[in-house]
Amino acid sequence: MRVAPVLFLAALLAAAATAACRAAPRYRRYEVRGDSMLPGLRSGDWVLVDLRAYALAAPRPGHIVVARDPRDPHLTLVKRVSGLDLHGNTELRGDNAPASTDSRRFGTVSPDQIVGRVRWRYWPLARTGRVG
Amino acid sequence: MNLLNRLLRPSHFASAHCDGPCGVYDPASARIAAEAVLSMEKKIAALGEGMDTPTVNTRTRFIGIKESQADLAKRDLNILWTDYFKPEHLEKYPNLSDTFWKAAKLCSKNKTEQDPANGEALLAAVEEIHNIFWATKGRDVAFYRANP
Repeated sequence: MRVAPVLFLAALLAAAATAACRAAPRYRRYEVRGDSMLPGLRSGDWVLVDLRAYALAAPRPGHIVVARDPRDPHLTLVKRVSGLDLHGNTELRGDNAPASTDSRRFGTVSPDQIVGRVRWRYWPLARTGRVG
Repeated sequence: MNLLNRLLRPSHFASAHCDGPCGVYDPASARIAAEAVLSMEKKIAALGEGMDTPTVNTRTRFIGIKESQADLAKRDLNILWTDYFKPEHLEKYPNLSDTFWKAAKLCSKNKTEQDPANGEALLAAVEEIHNIFWATKGRDVAFYRANP
């Protein structure tokens, strides 16, 4: 029974965050797929991504971001920022490095390929909370 | 709950990506082949020493299956060793290559000999690899046998 308020809060948060500003939503819900961000993000986790996180500021090392794969714009990746070069290109790395295809393979990612910053995991309930 | 699920379910996917032809690896395939080897060794032993034609034919058949399954186990183990495991894994499990090498040797031993003890040894090696494999994925997957 105690789960109900949390559930409600999570629903409210996710719905409000995505629906409140319908014109230009600030947050978008993503489902994580794959094992390259273990142990932090698991395949099947639902997260909220702040699409405006980098409107004014550049990504910083340690941030978990959603970015387009520079080799294939239809593929959207979730990785952690491991570095930044002079031109503002980010270097991405999976937390589960042995099982990750990232900047070691495809090089740095330009700012326009960064979709946003992962801020919250809202599902599963047992592991809701801030991310990155 | 259904409505809630629909409300919360993301419409976008973010891939925690890893390249690979399919990325599906599981020591289970090697375990099944190793179990088939052991099963054939037990059947060969149970068949006895008979030299009549039907017994010889059955023994020949059992040996053929044992050979091909041992070969399959070796192949499946090699795929894990060469495709799934990365240098980073070796750092964490320094005896990994030795474990695979010994397991591959056991596959060969199971081909040339008929002793069920070799099949048991191969299954023990596969279990060791199973444990390391799932540990690298951060998952606790119990090892089991189809034929206990």
